[in-house]
Amino acid sequence: MARTAANDRPQAALASPEASRIEDDRETVIVADRVTAGYENRRAKTRLIALRDVSLEIRRGEFLAIVGPSGCGKSTFINMIAGFLKPLEGTMTVDGKPVRGTGADRAMVFQDYALLPWRTVERNVQFAMENRGNRPSKAEQAERVAEALGLVGLTGFEKAYPHELSGGMRQRVGIARALVTKPAILLMDEPFGAVDAMTREAMQAEFERIISQTRQTVIFITHSIDEAVMLGDRVAVISNRPGTIKEVVDVDLPRPRLEGDAKSSPRFAELREHIWSLLQDEALGAKEAK
Amino acid sequence: MTSTRTTAATAAADEAGANQIGGSKVVEDLKISRFAPFRNTVITIVNLTLFFTAWEIVARAELVNPLFFPRITDTFEAIYTGFRDGVIGPELQHSVSNLLIGLVISAAIGIPVGLFMGASKTADLLLSPYVWAMTSLPRVALIPLLILIMGFGNQMQLTIIVLSAVFPIMVNCMAGVKTVDPSLLRAGRVFGTNSFQMYVKIIFPFTLPFVISGINQGIARGLVGMLIGELLGGGGAGLGFLLDRAGDRFDAPMLYATLLLLAVMSVALVQLMRWLERRVAPWRDLPS
Repeated sequence: MARTAANDRPQAALASPEASRIEDDRETVIVADRVTAGYENRRAKTRLIALRDVSLEIRRGEFLAIVGPSGCGKSTFINMIAGFLKPLEGTMTVDGKPVRGTGADRAMVFQDYALLPWRTVERNVQFAMENRGNRPSKAEQAERVAEALGLVGLTGFEKAYPHELSGGMRQRVGIARALVTKPAILLMDEPFGAVDAMTREAMQAEFERIISQTRQTVIFITHSIDEAVMLGDRVAVISNRPGTIKEVVDVDLPRPRLEGDAKSSPRFAELREHIWSLLQDEALGAKEAK
Repeated sequence: MTSTRTTAATAAADEAGANQIGGSKVVEDLKISRFAPFRNTVITIVNLTLFFTAWEIVARAELVNPLFFPRITDTFEAIYTGFRDGVIGPELQHSVSNLLIGLVISAAIGIPVGLFMGASKTADLLLSPYVWAMTSLPRVALIPLLILIMGFGNQMQLTIIVLSAVFPIMVNCMAGVKTVDPSLLRAGRVFGTNSFQMYVKIIFPFTLPFVISGINQGIARGLVGMLIGELLGGGGAGLGFLLDRAGDRFDAPMLYATLLLLAVMSVALVQLMRWLERRVAPWRDLPS
Protein backbone atom coordinates (compact mmCIF):
# COMPACT_ATOMS: atom_id res chain seq x y z
CA MET A 1 0.00 0.00 0.00
CA ALA A 2 1.53 3.22 -1.15
CA ARG A 3 2.07 5.86 1.48
CA THR A 4 0.87 9.30 0.51
CA ALA A 5 1.46 12.57 2.24
CA ALA A 6 -0.75 13.09 5.22
CA ASN A 7 -2.50 16.17 3.88
CA ASP A 8 -3.89 14.69 0.69
CA ARG A 9 -5.21 11.47 2.11
CA PRO A 10 -8.93 10.79 1.96
CA GLN A 11 -10.69 12.09 5.03
CA ALA A 12 -13.67 9.78 4.69
CA ALA A 13 -13.72 8.65 8.26
CA LEU A 14 -13.60 12.16 9.58
CA ALA A 15 -15.74 13.84 7.00
CA SER A 16 -19.03 13.57 8.77
CA PRO A 17 -20.84 16.93 8.86
CA GLU A 18 -20.50 17.04 12.64
CA ALA A 19 -16.77 16.59 12.57
CA SER A 20 -16.13 19.27 9.99
CA ARG A 21 -18.14 21.74 12.02
CA ILE A 22 -15.56 21.83 14.76
CA GLU A 23 -13.72 25.07 14.64
CA ASP A 24 -10.69 24.32 16.65
CA ASP A 25 -7.25 25.71 16.28
CA ARG A 26 -5.72 23.44 18.87
CA GLU A 27 -2.93 21.31 17.45
CA THR A 28 -3.53 17.67 16.81
CA VAL A 29 -1.59 15.45 19.17
CA ILE A 30 -2.58 11.93 18.19
CA VAL A 31 -3.00 10.98 14.56
CA ALA A 32 -4.18 7.58 13.43
CA ASP A 33 -3.63 7.35 9.70
CA ARG A 34 -5.48 4.51 8.02
CA VAL A 35 -4.60 2.14 10.76
CA THR A 36 -5.34 -1.54 10.44
CA ALA A 37 -4.65 -3.66 13.47
CA GLY A 38 -5.17 -7.18 14.58
CA TYR A 39 -3.82 -10.17 16.37
CA GLU A 40 -2.05 -13.19 14.99
CA ASN A 41 -3.17 -16.62 15.94
CA ARG A 42 -0.17 -18.69 15.07
CA ARG A 43 -1.79 -21.99 15.90
CA ALA A 44 -4.70 -21.45 13.53
CA LYS A 45 -2.40 -19.59 11.11
CA THR A 46 -4.89 -16.75 10.94
CA ARG A 47 -4.86 -13.06 11.58
CA LEU A 48 -7.84 -11.56 13.30
CA ILE A 49 -8.41 -8.03 12.06
CA ALA A 50 -9.79 -5.94 14.91
CA LEU A 51 -9.66 -2.53 13.23
CA ARG A 52 -9.58 -1.68 9.57
CA ASP A 53 -8.55 1.58 7.94
CA VAL A 54 -9.18 3.80 10.91
CA SER A 55 -8.21 7.45 10.57
CA LEU A 56 -8.70 9.83 13.45
CA GLU A 57 -7.12 13.00 14.70
CA ILE A 58 -7.19 13.92 18.34
CA ARG A 59 -6.48 17.47 19.46
CA ARG A 60 -4.58 18.56 22.50
CA GLY A 61 -6.79 18.92 25.55
CA GLU A 62 -9.66 17.15 23.88
CA PHE A 63 -11.84 14.57 25.60
CA LEU A 64 -12.53 11.90 23.02
CA ALA A 65 -14.93 9.14 23.96
CA ILE A 66 -14.91 6.00 21.89
CA VAL A 67 -18.05 3.93 21.94
CA GLY A 68 -18.90 0.70 20.19
CA PRO A 69 -20.16 -2.82 20.68
CA SER A 70 -17.95 -5.17 22.62
CA GLY A 71 -15.29 -6.75 20.49
CA CYS A 72 -15.29 -3.90 18.01
CA GLY A 73 -11.63 -3.13 18.53
CA LYS A 74 -11.86 -0.04 20.72
CA SER A 75 -9.38 -1.54 23.18
CA THR A 76 -7.10 -2.37 20.29
CA PHE A 77 -7.13 1.29 19.32
CA ILE A 78 -6.17 2.51 22.77
CA ASN A 79 -3.55 -0.23 23.10
CA MET A 80 -1.90 1.10 19.96
CA ILE A 81 -1.76 4.60 21.38
CA ALA A 82 -0.33 3.17 24.60
CA GLY A 83 2.32 1.35 22.61
CA PHE A 84 1.38 -2.22 23.48
CA LEU A 85 0.57 -3.06 19.92
CA LYS A 86 1.84 -1.96 16.52
CA PRO A 87 -0.50 -1.33 13.60
CA LEU A 88 -0.33 -3.93 10.86
CA GLU A 89 -0.85 -1.18 8.32
CA GLY A 90 -0.98 2.59 8.53
CA THR A 91 0.67 4.73 11.18
CA MET A 92 -0.14 5.88 14.66
CA THR A 93 1.68 9.02 15.69
CA VAL A 94 1.77 10.89 18.96
CA ASP A 95 3.23 14.39 18.85
CA GLY A 96 4.35 13.78 15.29
CA LYS A 97 6.39 10.72 16.14
CA PRO A 98 5.30 7.14 15.36
CA VAL A 99 4.46 5.30 18.57
CA ARG A 100 7.26 2.98 19.58
CA GLY A 101 6.47 1.38 22.89
CA THR A 102 5.11 3.03 25.97
CA GLY A 103 6.18 6.50 27.09
CA ALA A 104 6.04 8.91 29.98
CA ASP A 105 3.69 11.17 28.01
CA ARG A 106 0.93 8.54 28.11
CA ALA A 107 -0.63 6.97 31.17
CA MET A 108 -3.42 4.45 31.34
CA VAL A 109 -6.33 3.60 33.60
CA PHE A 110 -7.36 -0.03 33.36
CA GLN A 111 -10.80 -1.56 33.61
CA ASP A 112 -9.62 -4.10 36.20
CA TYR A 113 -7.63 -1.41 38.09
CA ALA A 114 -4.31 -3.30 37.72
CA LEU A 115 -3.09 -2.19 41.13
CA LEU A 116 -0.23 -3.99 42.81
CA PRO A 117 -1.98 -5.84 45.64
CA TRP A 118 1.12 -5.94 47.85
CA ARG A 119 1.52 -2.18 47.84
CA THR A 120 -0.38 0.38 49.84
CA VAL A 121 -2.41 3.05 48.10
CA GLU A 122 0.38 5.62 48.26
CA ARG A 123 3.01 3.15 47.09
CA ASN A 124 0.76 2.19 44.19
CA VAL A 125 0.49 5.80 43.12
CA GLN A 126 4.20 6.28 43.59
CA PHE A 127 4.80 3.34 41.24
CA ALA A 128 4.12 5.61 38.27
CA MET A 129 7.08 7.83 39.18
CA GLU A 130 9.77 5.45 40.27
CA ASN A 131 10.62 3.46 37.16
CA ARG A 132 11.76 5.82 34.43
CA GLY A 133 14.93 7.84 34.45
CA ASN A 134 15.06 11.38 35.93
CA ARG A 135 12.65 10.45 38.70
CA PRO A 136 11.75 13.17 41.15
CA SER A 137 13.29 13.28 44.61
CA LYS A 138 11.69 11.29 47.42
CA ALA A 139 10.24 14.40 48.97
CA GLU A 140 8.76 15.57 45.70
CA GLN A 141 7.35 12.12 45.01
CA ALA A 142 5.61 12.13 48.37
CA GLU A 143 4.23 15.58 47.72
CA ARG A 144 2.89 14.62 44.32
CA VAL A 145 1.37 11.40 45.65
CA ALA A 146 -0.44 13.42 48.31
CA GLU A 147 -1.63 15.90 45.69
CA ALA A 148 -2.90 13.17 43.35
CA LEU A 149 -4.68 11.37 46.18
CA GLY A 150 -6.25 14.65 47.21
CA LEU A 151 -7.47 15.19 43.67
CA VAL A 152 -9.31 11.86 43.62
CA GLY A 153 -10.54 12.24 47.20
CA LEU A 154 -8.50 9.50 48.79
CA THR A 155 -6.66 11.52 51.41
CA GLY A 156 -6.61 9.43 54.56
CA PHE A 157 -6.32 6.13 52.72
CA GLU A 158 -2.59 6.32 52.01
CA LYS A 159 -1.74 3.26 54.07
CA ALA A 160 -4.67 1.07 52.98
CA TYR A 161 -4.15 -1.92 50.73
CA PRO A 162 -6.21 -2.30 47.54
CA HIS A 163 -8.02 -5.39 48.86
CA GLU A 164 -9.34 -3.30 51.72
CA LEU A 165 -11.00 -0.83 49.34
CA SER A 166 -14.22 -0.93 47.34
CA GLY A 167 -14.13 -1.12 43.55
CA GLY A 168 -14.79 2.58 43.12
CA MET A 169 -12.03 3.50 45.54
CA ARG A 170 -9.60 1.15 43.83
CA GLN A 171 -10.28 2.87 40.55
CA ARG A 172 -9.62 6.23 42.21
CA VAL A 173 -6.20 4.85 43.06
CA GLY A 174 -5.83 3.83 39.42
CA ILE A 175 -6.73 7.35 38.33
CA ALA A 176 -4.39 8.95 40.87
CA ARG A 177 -1.58 6.72 39.63
CA ALA A 178 -2.24 7.81 36.05
CA LEU A 179 -2.44 11.50 37.00
CA VAL A 180 0.54 11.69 39.32
CA THR A 181 3.12 12.08 36.57
CA LYS A 182 0.97 14.70 34.86
CA PRO A 183 1.10 12.92 31.51
CA ALA A 184 -0.09 14.80 28.44
CA ILE A 185 -2.37 11.98 27.42
CA LEU A 186 -4.66 9.91 29.59
CA LEU A 187 -5.82 6.60 28.15
CA MET A 188 -8.84 5.09 29.82
CA ASP A 189 -9.98 1.60 28.94
CA GLU A 190 -13.52 1.28 30.26
CA PRO A 191 -12.40 2.64 33.61
CA PHE A 192 -15.83 2.58 35.24
CA GLY A 193 -16.94 -0.65 33.61
CA ALA A 194 -16.46 -2.71 36.76
CA VAL A 195 -17.99 -0.37 39.34
CA ASP A 196 -21.66 -0.34 40.28
CA ALA A 197 -24.08 2.09 38.65
CA MET A 198 -24.34 4.60 41.51
CA THR A 199 -20.62 4.79 42.10
CA ARG A 200 -20.16 5.04 38.38
CA GLU A 201 -22.22 8.20 38.08
CA ALA A 202 -20.47 9.80 41.04
CA MET A 203 -17.10 8.94 39.56
CA GLN A 204 -18.01 10.37 36.17
CA ALA A 205 -18.88 13.67 37.82
CA GLU A 206 -15.65 13.66 39.77
CA PHE A 207 -13.64 12.71 36.75
CA GLU A 208 -15.15 15.54 34.73
CA ARG A 209 -14.17 17.94 37.51
CA ILE A 210 -10.63 16.55 37.71
CA ILE A 211 -10.06 16.78 33.97
CA SER A 212 -11.38 20.34 33.91
CA GLN A 213 -8.52 21.13 36.30
CA THR A 214 -5.72 19.09 34.73
CA ARG A 215 -6.77 19.69 31.10
CA GLN A 216 -5.27 16.54 29.74
CA THR A 217 -6.00 14.93 26.43
CA VAL A 218 -8.25 12.02 27.27
CA ILE A 219 -9.12 8.97 25.20
CA PHE A 220 -11.96 7.30 27.00
CA ILE A 221 -13.31 3.92 25.96
CA THR A 222 -16.75 2.86 27.02
CA HIS A 223 -19.63 0.76 25.84
CA SER A 224 -22.12 3.05 27.52
CA ILE A 225 -23.58 5.64 25.17
CA ASP A 226 -24.69 7.79 28.13
CA GLU A 227 -21.19 7.83 29.54
CA ALA A 228 -19.70 8.72 26.16
CA VAL A 229 -22.10 11.63 25.64
CA MET A 230 -21.79 12.89 29.21
CA LEU A 231 -18.02 12.99 29.16
CA GLY A 232 -16.82 13.40 25.61
CA ASP A 233 -16.13 16.56 23.62
CA ARG A 234 -16.49 14.24 20.68
CA VAL A 235 -17.71 10.68 20.49
CA ALA A 236 -16.18 8.31 17.97
CA VAL A 237 -18.64 5.56 17.12
CA ILE A 238 -16.95 2.37 16.07
CA SER A 239 -18.73 -0.32 14.09
CA ASN A 240 -18.55 -4.02 14.63
CA ARG A 241 -15.53 -6.15 13.86
CA PRO A 242 -13.54 -5.38 11.91
CA GLY A 243 -13.93 -1.98 13.55
CA THR A 244 -14.15 1.12 11.43
CA ILE A 245 -15.16 4.57 12.53
CA LYS A 246 -18.80 5.08 11.64
CA GLU A 247 -19.04 8.67 12.68
CA VAL A 248 -17.41 11.16 14.97
CA VAL A 249 -20.15 13.00 16.81
CA ASP A 250 -19.65 16.46 18.25
CA VAL A 251 -21.08 16.85 21.71
CA ASP A 252 -22.05 20.49 22.07
CA LEU A 253 -23.40 20.29 25.60
CA PRO A 254 -22.13 22.94 28.02
CA ARG A 255 -19.85 21.91 30.91
CA PRO A 256 -19.88 20.97 33.67
CA ARG A 257 -22.39 18.43 32.50
CA LEU A 258 -22.62 16.05 35.41
CA GLU A 259 -22.87 18.65 38.13
CA GLY A 260 -25.20 20.58 35.89
CA ASP A 261 -28.31 19.03 34.46
CA ALA A 262 -27.12 17.99 31.04
CA LYS A 263 -28.73 14.60 31.23
CA SER A 264 -32.24 16.00 31.18
CA SER A 265 -31.58 18.42 28.32
CA PRO A 266 -33.25 17.67 24.99
CA ARG A 267 -29.91 17.95 23.20
CA PHE A 268 -28.53 15.11 25.31
CA ALA A 269 -31.46 12.91 24.34
CA GLU A 270 -30.96 13.83 20.69
CA LEU A 271 -27.28 12.92 20.68
CA ARG A 272 -27.92 9.76 22.61
CA GLU A 273 -30.64 8.79 20.16
CA HIS A 274 -28.41 9.51 17.19
CA ILE A 275 -25.53 7.38 18.49
CA TRP A 276 -27.92 4.66 19.50
CA SER A 277 -29.34 4.51 15.97
CA LEU A 278 -25.81 4.20 14.59
CA LEU A 279 -25.03 1.34 16.93
CA GLN A 280 -28.41 -0.26 16.53
CA ASP A 281 -27.76 -0.64 12.81
CA GLU A 282 -24.55 -2.33 13.79
CA ALA A 283 -26.18 -4.76 16.16
CA LEU A 284 -28.88 -5.64 13.64
CA GLY A 285 -26.36 -5.83 10.81
CA ALA A 286 -24.29 -8.24 12.81
CA LYS A 287 -27.33 -10.40 13.39
CA GLU A 288 -28.22 -10.54 9.70
CA ALA A 289 -24.67 -11.35 8.77
CA LYS A 290 -24.84 -14.43 10.96
CA MET B 1 -9.53 -19.69 64.72
CA THR B 2 -7.52 -18.22 61.92
CA SER B 3 -10.59 -17.66 59.77
CA THR B 4 -12.33 -15.58 62.42
CA ARG B 5 -9.21 -13.54 62.84
CA THR B 6 -8.80 -12.68 59.15
CA THR B 7 -12.44 -11.77 58.61
CA ALA B 8 -12.34 -9.62 61.69
CA ALA B 9 -9.28 -7.86 60.30
CA THR B 10 -10.82 -7.09 56.89
CA ALA B 11 -14.08 -6.03 58.46
CA ALA B 12 -12.16 -3.68 60.71
CA ALA B 13 -10.39 -2.22 57.68
CA ASP B 14 -13.70 -1.73 55.85
CA GLU B 15 -15.21 -0.05 58.85
CA ALA B 16 -12.23 2.22 59.25
CA GLY B 17 -12.65 3.27 55.62
CA ALA B 18 -16.37 3.89 55.95
CA ASN B 19 -15.75 5.76 59.14
CA GLN B 20 -13.54 8.29 57.46
CA ILE B 21 -15.93 8.85 54.59
CA GLY B 22 -19.07 9.43 56.59
CA GLY B 23 -17.94 11.33 59.64
CA SER B 24 -20.66 9.86 61.84
CA LYS B 25 -19.81 6.86 63.94
CA VAL B 26 -19.85 3.68 61.93
CA VAL B 27 -17.78 1.35 64.08
CA GLU B 28 -19.62 0.21 67.14
CA ASP B 29 -18.27 -2.04 69.86
CA LEU B 30 -19.49 -5.57 69.77
CA LYS B 31 -20.12 -7.40 72.99
CA ILE B 32 -18.05 -10.53 72.51
CA SER B 33 -16.75 -12.62 75.38
CA ARG B 34 -13.06 -12.11 75.82
CA PHE B 35 -12.69 -15.88 75.85
CA ALA B 36 -14.05 -16.11 72.32
CA PRO B 37 -10.61 -16.22 70.68
CA PHE B 38 -9.75 -19.34 72.69
CA ARG B 39 -12.91 -21.16 71.71
CA ASN B 40 -11.35 -23.19 68.91
CA THR B 41 -8.29 -24.00 71.01
CA VAL B 42 -10.51 -25.30 73.77
CA ILE B 43 -12.47 -27.38 71.29
CA THR B 44 -9.25 -28.87 69.93
CA ILE B 45 -7.99 -29.71 73.41
CA VAL B 46 -11.26 -31.37 74.38
CA ASN B 47 -11.35 -33.17 71.07
CA LEU B 48 -7.84 -34.61 71.46
CA THR B 49 -8.45 -35.52 75.11
CA LEU B 50 -11.55 -37.48 74.14
CA PHE B 51 -9.65 -39.16 71.34
CA PHE B 52 -6.78 -40.25 73.59
CA THR B 53 -9.19 -41.36 76.32
CA ALA B 54 -11.10 -43.50 73.82
CA TRP B 55 -7.77 -44.90 72.67
CA GLU B 56 -6.79 -45.75 76.21
CA ILE B 57 -10.14 -47.47 76.89
CA VAL B 58 -9.99 -49.54 73.70
CA ALA B 59 -6.37 -50.50 74.43
CA ARG B 60 -7.08 -51.45 78.05
CA ALA B 61 -10.08 -53.51 76.99
CA GLU B 62 -7.65 -55.30 74.65
CA LEU B 63 -10.16 -55.29 71.82
CA VAL B 64 -7.15 -55.27 69.52
CA ASN B 65 -3.99 -57.27 70.06
CA PRO B 66 -1.82 -55.09 72.35
CA LEU B 67 1.14 -56.03 70.20
CA PHE B 68 -0.20 -53.71 67.49
CA PHE B 69 -2.15 -51.35 69.64
CA PRO B 70 -0.47 -50.15 72.82
CA ARG B 71 -2.05 -47.95 75.45
CA ILE B 72 -1.64 -44.25 74.77
CA THR B 73 -0.19 -43.84 78.26
CA ASP B 74 2.53 -46.35 77.34
CA THR B 75 3.15 -44.45 74.14
CA PHE B 76 3.56 -41.16 75.98
CA GLU B 77 5.80 -42.90 78.46
CA ALA B 78 7.91 -44.23 75.58
CA ILE B 79 8.32 -40.66 74.34
CA TYR B 80 9.27 -39.46 77.81
CA THR B 81 11.80 -42.21 78.54
CA GLY B 82 13.05 -42.06 74.97
CA PHE B 83 13.96 -38.41 75.40
CA ARG B 84 15.25 -38.94 78.96
CA ASP B 85 17.53 -41.80 77.95
CA GLY B 86 18.76 -40.08 74.82
CA VAL B 87 17.20 -42.62 72.48
CA ILE B 88 14.95 -40.23 70.58
CA GLY B 89 16.81 -36.92 70.89
CA PRO B 90 19.76 -37.54 68.58
CA GLU B 91 17.61 -39.32 66.00
CA LEU B 92 15.08 -36.50 65.97
CA GLN B 93 17.85 -33.98 65.63
CA HIS B 94 19.39 -35.98 62.80
CA SER B 95 16.09 -36.13 60.91
CA VAL B 96 15.12 -32.51 61.46
CA SER B 97 18.50 -31.13 60.49
CA ASN B 98 18.63 -33.36 57.42
CA LEU B 99 15.17 -32.22 56.41
CA LEU B 100 15.96 -28.55 56.93
CA ILE B 101 19.27 -28.71 55.08
CA GLY B 102 17.57 -30.63 52.28
CA LEU B 103 14.82 -28.03 52.06
CA VAL B 104 17.26 -25.14 51.96
CA ILE B 105 19.19 -26.80 49.15
CA SER B 106 15.94 -27.56 47.32
CA ALA B 107 14.77 -23.98 47.64
CA ALA B 108 18.14 -22.64 46.51
CA ILE B 109 17.96 -24.75 43.35
CA GLY B 110 14.21 -24.93 42.79
CA ILE B 111 13.26 -21.26 43.12
CA PRO B 112 15.69 -19.73 40.59
CA VAL B 113 15.28 -22.56 38.09
CA GLY B 114 11.49 -22.43 38.41
CA LEU B 115 11.42 -18.66 37.98
CA PHE B 116 13.68 -18.92 34.97
CA MET B 117 11.49 -21.61 33.42
CA GLY B 118 8.43 -19.47 33.96
CA ALA B 119 10.02 -16.48 32.30
CA SER B 120 11.77 -18.08 29.37
CA LYS B 121 9.82 -20.17 26.89
CA THR B 122 13.03 -21.75 25.64
CA ALA B 123 14.12 -22.79 29.12
CA ASP B 124 10.68 -24.22 29.74
CA LEU B 125 10.74 -26.17 26.49
CA LEU B 126 14.21 -27.56 27.14
CA LEU B 127 13.88 -28.39 30.81
CA SER B 128 10.28 -29.43 31.24
CA PRO B 129 10.57 -33.05 30.02
CA TYR B 130 13.12 -33.72 32.76
CA VAL B 131 11.33 -31.72 35.41
CA TRP B 132 8.00 -33.41 34.78
CA ALA B 133 9.59 -36.86 34.59
CA MET B 134 11.30 -36.25 37.93
CA THR B 135 8.16 -34.74 39.45
CA SER B 136 6.05 -37.76 38.62
CA LEU B 137 8.64 -40.50 39.27
CA PRO B 138 8.04 -42.16 42.65
CA ARG B 139 11.03 -41.34 44.84
CA VAL B 140 11.39 -44.88 46.17
CA ALA B 141 12.38 -46.03 42.72
CA LEU B 142 15.59 -44.03 43.02
CA ILE B 143 16.77 -45.62 46.26
CA PRO B 144 18.64 -48.61 44.76
CA LEU B 145 20.42 -46.35 42.31
CA LEU B 146 21.36 -43.83 44.98
CA ILE B 147 22.63 -46.57 47.29
CA LEU B 148 24.68 -47.89 44.42
CA ILE B 149 26.19 -44.47 43.82
CA MET B 150 26.55 -43.13 47.33
CA GLY B 151 26.33 -46.11 49.67
CA PHE B 152 24.45 -46.05 52.94
CA GLY B 153 25.60 -42.70 54.22
CA ASN B 154 23.96 -39.48 55.18
CA GLN B 155 24.77 -38.11 51.74
CA MET B 156 22.29 -40.53 50.23
CA GLN B 157 19.59 -39.55 52.72
CA LEU B 158 20.12 -35.87 52.00
CA THR B 159 20.06 -36.45 48.25
CA ILE B 160 16.73 -38.23 48.40
CA ILE B 161 15.25 -35.35 50.41
CA VAL B 162 16.47 -32.81 47.88
CA LEU B 163 15.25 -34.89 44.95
CA SER B 164 11.85 -35.14 46.62
CA ALA B 165 11.45 -31.50 47.54
CA VAL B 166 13.09 -29.65 44.68
CA PHE B 167 10.63 -30.45 41.91
CA PRO B 168 7.40 -29.35 43.56
CA ILE B 169 9.14 -26.09 44.45
CA MET B 170 10.35 -25.68 40.87
CA VAL B 171 6.98 -26.45 39.30
CA ASN B 172 5.15 -24.05 41.60
CA CYS B 173 7.54 -21.19 40.91
CA MET B 174 7.16 -21.77 37.21
CA ALA B 175 3.37 -21.78 37.49
CA GLY B 176 3.52 -18.61 39.57
CA VAL B 177 5.43 -16.67 36.95
CA LYS B 178 3.09 -17.91 34.23
CA THR B 179 -0.03 -16.80 36.05
CA VAL B 180 1.07 -13.22 36.67
CA ASP B 181 -1.95 -11.08 35.95
CA PRO B 182 -1.42 -9.75 32.38
CA SER B 183 -2.93 -6.39 33.23
CA LEU B 184 -0.28 -5.92 35.94
CA LEU B 185 2.33 -6.51 33.28
CA ARG B 186 0.62 -3.92 31.09
CA ALA B 187 0.55 -1.50 34.00
CA GLY B 188 4.27 -2.16 34.42
CA ARG B 189 4.89 -1.28 30.79
CA VAL B 190 2.72 1.83 30.87
CA PHE B 191 4.55 3.12 33.90
CA GLY B 192 7.94 2.50 32.44
CA THR B 193 9.44 -0.56 34.10
CA ASN B 194 12.42 -2.11 32.39
CA SER B 195 12.64 -5.88 32.49
CA PHE B 196 14.64 -5.90 35.73
CA GLN B 197 12.11 -3.64 37.46
CA MET B 198 9.29 -5.73 36.03
CA TYR B 199 10.83 -8.76 37.71
CA VAL B 200 11.57 -7.19 41.05
CA LYS B 201 8.44 -5.11 41.38
CA ILE B 202 5.77 -7.21 39.72
CA ILE B 203 6.65 -10.75 38.79
CA PHE B 204 8.50 -11.80 41.92
CA PRO B 205 6.06 -10.35 44.47
CA PHE B 206 3.22 -11.91 42.52
CA THR B 207 4.98 -15.26 42.54
CA LEU B 208 5.95 -15.24 46.21
CA PRO B 209 2.81 -17.01 47.45
CA PHE B 210 3.38 -19.68 44.83
CA VAL B 211 6.97 -20.06 46.00
CA ILE B 212 5.73 -20.59 49.51
CA SER B 213 3.10 -23.12 48.54
CA GLY B 214 5.83 -24.84 46.53
CA ILE B 215 7.96 -25.02 49.64
CA ASN B 216 4.92 -26.29 51.49
CA GLN B 217 4.59 -29.16 49.06
CA GLY B 218 8.34 -29.58 49.17
CA ILE B 219 8.10 -30.12 52.92
CA ALA B 220 5.49 -32.83 52.53
CA ARG B 221 7.46 -34.56 49.79
CA GLY B 222 10.74 -34.02 51.61
CA LEU B 223 9.37 -35.74 54.72
CA VAL B 224 8.51 -38.77 52.64
CA GLY B 225 11.96 -38.66 51.09
CA MET B 226 13.53 -38.37 54.52
CA LEU B 227 11.66 -41.40 55.81
CA ILE B 228 12.28 -43.67 52.86
CA GLY B 229 15.93 -42.72 52.94
CA GLU B 230 16.15 -43.63 56.61
CA LEU B 231 13.98 -46.74 56.35
CA LEU B 232 15.47 -48.22 53.22
CA GLY B 233 18.86 -46.57 53.13
CA GLY B 234 19.95 -48.32 56.31
CA GLY B 235 22.03 -45.42 57.55
CA GLY B 236 21.32 -46.31 61.18
CA ALA B 237 20.14 -42.85 62.12
CA GLY B 238 16.99 -40.74 62.15
CA LEU B 239 13.35 -41.25 62.99
CA GLY B 240 13.01 -43.77 60.17
CA PHE B 241 15.70 -45.83 61.83
CA LEU B 242 13.82 -45.62 65.16
CA LEU B 243 10.67 -46.85 63.43
CA ASP B 244 12.52 -49.67 61.77
CA ARG B 245 14.18 -50.81 65.00
CA ALA B 246 11.00 -50.52 67.06
CA GLY B 247 9.24 -52.68 64.47
CA ASP B 248 12.00 -55.29 64.59
CA ARG B 249 11.77 -55.43 68.39
CA PHE B 250 7.95 -55.56 68.50
CA ASP B 251 8.19 -52.40 70.58
CA ALA B 252 4.71 -51.05 69.83
CA PRO B 253 4.78 -48.07 72.25
CA MET B 254 8.02 -46.84 70.69
CA LEU B 255 6.64 -47.36 67.20
CA TYR B 256 3.59 -45.30 67.99
CA ALA B 257 5.67 -42.73 69.83
CA THR B 258 7.80 -42.18 66.71
CA LEU B 259 4.74 -41.92 64.50
CA LEU B 260 3.26 -39.36 66.86
CA LEU B 261 6.45 -37.32 66.74
CA LEU B 262 6.46 -37.44 62.95
CA ALA B 263 2.85 -36.28 62.86
CA VAL B 264 3.57 -33.39 65.23
CA MET B 265 6.64 -32.42 63.24
CA SER B 266 4.86 -32.33 59.88
CA VAL B 267 1.83 -30.51 61.24
CA ALA B 268 4.11 -27.92 62.83
CA LEU B 269 6.00 -27.34 59.58
CA VAL B 270 2.86 -27.12 57.47
CA GLN B 271 1.23 -24.70 59.93
CA LEU B 272 4.34 -22.55 59.93
CA MET B 273 4.25 -22.31 56.16
CA ARG B 274 0.54 -21.54 56.10
CA TRP B 275 1.11 -18.77 58.58
CA LEU B 276 3.91 -17.46 56.39
CA GLU B 277 1.73 -17.72 53.31
CA ARG B 278 -0.89 -15.50 54.89
CA ARG B 279 1.72 -13.07 56.08
CA VAL B 280 3.31 -12.50 52.68
CA ALA B 281 0.06 -12.34 50.70
CA PRO B 282 -2.76 -10.97 52.85
CA TRP B 283 -4.65 -9.97 49.71
CA ARG B 284 -5.17 -13.58 48.65
CA ASP B 285 -8.19 -15.15 50.25
CA LEU B 286 -6.65 -18.37 51.39
CA PRO B 287 -8.93 -20.98 52.85
CA SER B 288 -7.83 -21.48 56.41
